[in-house]
Amino acid sequence: MNERFSYPADREARNAARVKALESLLIEKGIITSGTVDKILGYFETQMGPFNGAKIVARAWVDPAFKEKLVADTPAAIAELDLPTGMAGAEGEHMQAVANTPKVHNLVVCTLCSCYPWPVLGLPPYWYKDPTFRARAVREPRAVLKELGLELDPSVEIKIWDSSAQIRWFVIPERPTGTDGMSEAELASLVTPEAMMGVARAMALGAKTA
Amino acid sequence: MQTRFEHFALASMMGEKDSPPRFNGRVCFASEWERQAFGIALALAKTGYFEWEDFRQLLIQTIGEWQRTHALDDPSWSYYEQWLRALERALVQAQVASPAEIDSLLSH
Repeated sequence: MNERFSYPADREARNAARVKALESLLIEKGIITSGTVDKILGYFETQMGPFNGAKIVARAWVDPAFKEKLVADTPAAIAELDLPTGMAGAEGEHMQAVANTPKVHNLVVCTLCSCYPWPVLGLPPYWYKDPTFRARAVREPRAVLKELGLELDPSVEIKIWDSSAQIRWFVIPERPTGTDGMSEAELASLVTPEAMMGVARAMALGAKTA
Repeated sequence: MQTRFEHFALASMMGEKDSPPRFNGRVCFASEWERQAFGIALALAKTGYFEWEDFRQLLIQTIGEWQRTHALDDPSWSYYEQWLRALERALVQAQVASPAEIDSLLSH
């Protein structure tokens, strides 16, 4: 290993030791227990994140009646699924789903702030907060989508949904072709946060990387 | 609809300069100590040893101090190192630990 790289590695080890010592100190004082951290992080790791949205989308793909309800009354439809409480929105804001079709592509932005249905989509990517992205997405969505790797046929209409403190939008992407025999869980694994923001398609078969 | 503390805590940081790194819609940790430091801060605020907002102010302050003394592209930047510093300060400020106790951690 090159000499230059030894310092950060030491620092990693030192930070790790400090956290461990800090944890021991707090356990000794009776402030936390050895299971505290796992318990609090379990919430993020098992209950909160884009996999919730992916489950919702997968259900909509296999159940047309559910999809209809999801678009008509999103919180009520989400409440039907076995998801953690808080999914349908908290503190008065509502989630609203919009469905892509072969003729209409939906894109979610927030021009004022960074409203984002994060119980469903997880935490927003850094560029979602970028003022340039937000402004350009409204002004020239087709060009912005192309830059993000999604080239739409000129005949496809793009609808922009501006999230606000009252309504947080998310997109039901189109079901990829060639997925007829897949289970709901397999389908959910094709749904990325980006697809639910309208900046990508649901992953095609074989394109899955993780 | 109930809002979980964990829910609230992260939402309050979104888009701010102290917002934690994330990948694919998840909070992400490069190593176990980062995860532990994150969890300890959240757990202590949740149980009321300090206010989440007070911790965040210390985190913003700690990040600000680092930025004033380092180049923006300094590769030695570590978000969770700043988080750990802020956590140590929060523990002293809340009188959960004495400065001497924190200093003894520094010798590790």
